[in-house]
Amino acid sequence: MFNKLIKYLSSLRFTILLICMLGLMFIVGLWVPQQRLLRTIYLEWQRSSPGLVSFLDTFGLTNVYASPITITLWLLFFLNLSLVLWQRWPLVKNRIKISDANITDPVTSGGFPFRNSYPLPPGLDGDKIIQLLRKSRYTVIGDSAGFYGVKNRLAPIAFMLFHLSFFLVLLGGLISVYTEFIGYVDLAQGEYFQGELARYNSRPSAKLPEFGSIPNVSFTIRSIEPRVVRNTVTGISIKLADAGGKVHEVGINTPYNTDNSSFVFKHLGVAPLFVLMDQSGKEIHGAYFKLDVVKGRQDTFRIGDFIFTADFFTDYELKDGAHTSKSMEFANPVFVISVERDGRKFAEAAVPKNGAMTFAGYRLEMRDMPFWVRFYVVKQRGLSILYAGFALATIGVIWRLLFYKREISGAVRDIDGERCLVIAGRSEYYKSLAEDEFNKLFAGIVGEGLKLDR
Amino acid sequence: MAFWEMIFYLVSMIVYALAGGGFIYSFVFKNPRVVSKITMLVCFGFIAQTIAISARFNATGHLPWSGHYEYALMGGWFIIAGTLFIGWQNKQLQGLAVATVPLVLIMLGYGYMQNPSLTPMAASLKTIWLYIHVYFAWLSFGAYSLAMAAGVVFLLKQKSEARETPNPAYDRFPSLGRLDELIFRYVVFGFITDTIMISAGAIWAKDLWGSYWAWDPVETWSLISWLIYGITIHLRVTFGWREKRLAWLAVAALGSVIICFFGVNLVVNTSLHVFQVR
Repeated sequence: MFNKLIKYLSSLRFTILLICMLGLMFIVGLWVPQQRLLRTIYLEWQRSSPGLVSFLDTFGLTNVYASPITITLWLLFFLNLSLVLWQRWPLVKNRIKISDANITDPVTSGGFPFRNSYPLPPGLDGDKIIQLLRKSRYTVIGDSAGFYGVKNRLAPIAFMLFHLSFFLVLLGGLISVYTEFIGYVDLAQGEYFQGELARYNSRPSAKLPEFGSIPNVSFTIRSIEPRVVRNTVTGISIKLADAGGKVHEVGINTPYNTDNSSFVFKHLGVAPLFVLMDQSGKEIHGAYFKLDVVKGRQDTFRIGDFIFTADFFTDYELKDGAHTSKSMEFANPVFVISVERDGRKFAEAAVPKNGAMTFAGYRLEMRDMPFWVRFYVVKQRGLSILYAGFALATIGVIWRLLFYKREISGAVRDIDGERCLVIAGRSEYYKSLAEDEFNKLFAGIVGEGLKLDR
Repeated sequence: MAFWEMIFYLVSMIVYALAGGGFIYSFVFKNPRVVSKITMLVCFGFIAQTIAISARFNATGHLPWSGHYEYALMGGWFIIAGTLFIGWQNKQLQGLAVATVPLVLIMLGYGYMQNPSLTPMAASLKTIWLYIHVYFAWLSFGAYSLAMAAGVVFLLKQKSEARETPNPAYDRFPSLGRLDELIFRYVVFGFITDTIMISAGAIWAKDLWGSYWAWDPVETWSLISWLIYGITIHLRVTFGWREKRLAWLAVAALGSVIICFFGVNLVVNTSLHVFQVR
């Protein structure tokens, strides 16, 4: 009973069943909004269909990639893989072994779909044939009375490497998940950041690692320069200086990497310096406000009892009485600000950099207009193991499927009074391709003999 | 679209339409002699498509690597390039175009209906990983398409040979045994390039999005198609699935790749992959 169970658990049928079931779970994950990945959509859906969502929640289908069903399937998959590797290793060792037992009769031995015989020119003997086969990267044992040759003898090891790579990916993945810190931090030009946990955004809250520490960093944002051509963001250059004064340039695709952490640019905003003055020109309040206003978003800020609603136009123009932007380029950046207090709107005006608006006896000046950026901060270990897994998988699959094994069994014999090379050959995977290859190889060897003869 | 790009894009579509019709004619009306001439027509369409790509490159300063339109343009080019290359290497395989040319024609037609406007290279695409990731993606799609084409031809030829008077149009093709092996070879080539594509994508994603794997819909679907082709290889090598069963598998499995490239974004709009959204 136990042996039967082990046999089934290590079978390819079981592997295929598990892969199909995992595939189905992934498809469910594509269709059903996932809590972790699509939080907002999920919450909206939960509000509109609480019964259905609760039902799917019960089976973990709204968190499908980490649901008990998926984890069980993965566990069974790796159990299956372990058993397969354990059972296959002796076979692999056996298949790469080379001994005199491999030398068989090329005429009568079974399992060789390719058979042929070639009349040999006088100058070509068994030793020379073996030498030419070795030149064609065959490992050959035996002599002209009977020999065995094999090309890419170690190819079966690639099977082990490819399947071992899954374990490396698993190990690297697990280490990265358990040591993972994820947080978002908004930093404006000129701001200094020392990696304090309290400075990470509260929404979404930072994910602390199960093992290890949060990123140990210290830097100042020197400058932020977005680059836009018409309506396409073509780049951003964020220069930051670390504690040692070294300047690093961060952009899209080029995060700031330090202490196993990556600071990935995620979002751009504008942080204008607004100063509110009374009728006498006395400054009442002034501050940089990080406003999330790029790409048509609206944001608000508060000074005293006043609530200011800001719309931002990167390339401002007043068209038919409406505020619009000609493009996404920062050619003529202007804020359109409306002011209200106690629910009553006082004024609305377009305020460019170094411009101002007046309302109810007050004056609001915009004295500076730097940018701020949101960094997605992630710290995780184990990535080198994970990448090694990817590399091993690639090497394994290329080695196994391109550098496959070819075997030949041969002998020099007299047939009807003529000296002939008798060959039997076989190859993994590609029968017709191997036939062409063997024909070409031995035609070449015999041709080489003819040249020697001359 | 740039002016010359539009002209040559349309020319390539018209030529592929004529060639597709010609291939179907040669099979239905059992006239194998026209295949070589139609292949020349495909060459002409390929040149027109290459000029369209060059015109777009000239206008934008970058190769067409992103968005549904550019994927159709560049992906179709890879598939036709593969078809012509193997037809040049082995004349018996010229007829594989009977399946790949209509596929590319549909892709180009679909691409034309998407957003073909000229745009500068988005910042997220300015990395060496784009070329590695997308190049191997197209190589794998091209190889899987050829596996499908070989599968279609295998099934047609097998059906024809079962008749009392086989269609001579299939005589030009390799034997069923060789076609069967070809299907497997294209699947293997596609699987290798697919593996490199996924690995390169994961490394790129780490720099771009901060996470090497985020269960993005396109990521997930590419994993599904990789698993399907992995199963196909195992079924062939271990269970000895050959001929008809392998041919049907190669035809059906291509569906998963088409969904990955073109279908996912029709169903969900949450993918970070810029097939459609800039």
